[in-house]
Amino acid sequence: MRIDRLVTPWAQRAPDRIAIDGTEESLTYAQLDALANRFAQAFRAAGAKSGDRVGVHVPRSGRAVAALLGAARAGAVYVPLDPGSPPARMKLVAQDCGLRHVVISPPLLANWLAAGVREPVEHFFLAADGPVPAGAAPAEVHPWADVTGASPAPLPPPGESPDELAYMLYTSGSTGVPKGVMISHRNALAFSEWAADQIALQATDRVASVAPFHFDLSVFDLWASLSRGATVVVVDESTVISGRRMLDRIHAKAINVWYSVPSALVLMLDDGGLAERGAPSLRTVFFAGEVFPMKHLRRSMAALPQARFFNLFGPTETNVCLAHELAISPPPEAMAIPIGRASCGDSFAILDPEGRPVTDGEVGELFVDGPTVMLGYWDGGRRTPAKRPYPTGDLVSRRPDGEVMYHGRRDHLVKIHGYRVELGEVEAALLSHPGIQEGIAMAVDQQLIAVAVPADPSVSVLEVKRYCATRLPRYMVPSEVRLVEALPRTSSGKIDRVRTRTAFIAADWSLLRPAQRAEARKES
Amino acid sequence: MEPRVKADIRQHIVSTWLSGDDRGFSEDTDLQESGILDSFSTLALIAFLDKTFSIQVEPAEVNAQTFKSVATIARLVMDKLARNGAGA
Repeated sequence: MRIDRLVTPWAQRAPDRIAIDGTEESLTYAQLDALANRFAQAFRAAGAKSGDRVGVHVPRSGRAVAALLGAARAGAVYVPLDPGSPPARMKLVAQDCGLRHVVISPPLLANWLAAGVREPVEHFFLAADGPVPAGAAPAEVHPWADVTGASPAPLPPPGESPDELAYMLYTSGSTGVPKGVMISHRNALAFSEWAADQIALQATDRVASVAPFHFDLSVFDLWASLSRGATVVVVDESTVISGRRMLDRIHAKAINVWYSVPSALVLMLDDGGLAERGAPSLRTVFFAGEVFPMKHLRRSMAALPQARFFNLFGPTETNVCLAHELAISPPPEAMAIPIGRASCGDSFAILDPEGRPVTDGEVGELFVDGPTVMLGYWDGGRRTPAKRPYPTGDLVSRRPDGEVMYHGRRDHLVKIHGYRVELGEVEAALLSHPGIQEGIAMAVDQQLIAVAVPADPSVSVLEVKRYCATRLPRYMVPSEVRLVEALPRTSSGKIDRVRTRTAFIAADWSLLRPAQRAEARKES
Repeated sequence: MEPRVKADIRQHIVSTWLSGDDRGFSEDTDLQESGILDSFSTLALIAFLDKTFSIQVEPAEVNAQTFKSVATIARLVMDKLARNGAGA
């Protein structure tokens, strides 16, 4: 199966069913199918060849989905670009993958041009009506009418093999230079079809699109839904910043399947009244991307007693490779939930540094093989194939019952004064404090540092340290605890560890603003 | 003198290990149990004491009793200053 084939069968069977329920416009399956064909024709007319990369820099909407699909139907490789990223980063991505065709919303094009980003783009396609801006030359700017006026007839199918490159997702490498992860049709659909099967996704379902398209969670939202004839309900960029607005949208649109980072659920609990209002329409909650702090997971499950909860696990390079369904809310003493067992047809091994399998309970690195493992890194066109089995850099152990537990990133394993410290363990202890909303640990110059957001202004540094000292060996108690108002986040909604660390080292307290302090509770 | 010594030690601990947050911290707060002092921070604190008060804290003088709290550390410092004859 290939992504370019997905929508047409439903456009024929149920042409008037809503495929994309957007904020500003909705598209039926027939309209989405036709618009995707128009995009494909417009790309082809502008010289896009099979295997060319096509950028899509448009806020999440029916048009954006049609552009992705149209690129695939033209045999091109689509590259979703983050609408929240600065032009300088877009330039790195555009140059790395040699983007000659970019679908872009008019305000974003204005940003590109103001920042002088043109090369190597030859054709901009505006994703909305409006005047064609000057200053793009020598690139050509196509008005929206060039897409809507193109033929809705399908092009000949671009290929047969599911192992061809379908799209690339740019992740920030540890060096800060974005890396293009190459995903085939098979890679994407192995995950989305598996997930759809887990919950028997069907045409009556209403699936939220919360994650940005450059984040791999969106692969489920789009391709699982559109392969089953379901409706994708866009929860747009201005909605995901507010817990109340997100919950309003779930209620208004009767969203019943939800996939996001845990932070989005925490936002709905804290700022949306999820505990009081509930969300009776939700039948499935998938979460991934970061560790779900246990106390917030319990609150979410209590607020949504009718929903099935799944913890999905895997880096962008393997999409989801392990999964765990929570049968019941974790008991109060549980410190962590499993990341589960192999999923999506993948297999895995847990190996020690010498490459030997570890025994049950022992921690080693997770290696994954199977249909979700990426083709490789684009790497400026050099195309570095993925190592197989793929070393994820994640530290895990297997319980005797076969469930896999997560212990943190291998690059989060640090040495402090000769002691091995797994930052994830420090964070788990920190987050189990009822007064800590979220936080991370890091090593800076042989010092263990915690930066955390208190849930309550009466929480003091002393109290946090004392709490950690009762749960961790002394060498794992952070020597410095910074209580801040908020932590910087990445465009996919996760805590931005790199920026937090950089700001801490630079003592940039404008990015890490000190938390408000109220009188501490009485010392006992 | 003793209040000055206590205030200096307290101020140093709060700024170095509590990010300046003195809420809940008193001269009797248990520095071990509250995760403030471990072997490395104890060494750093001794260096601070030696420099600030011109004394020489000996390894034999460092134990869980003498380094329990700001009050006990201040007492150790006062004792040493008195013995040095520099207490006046």
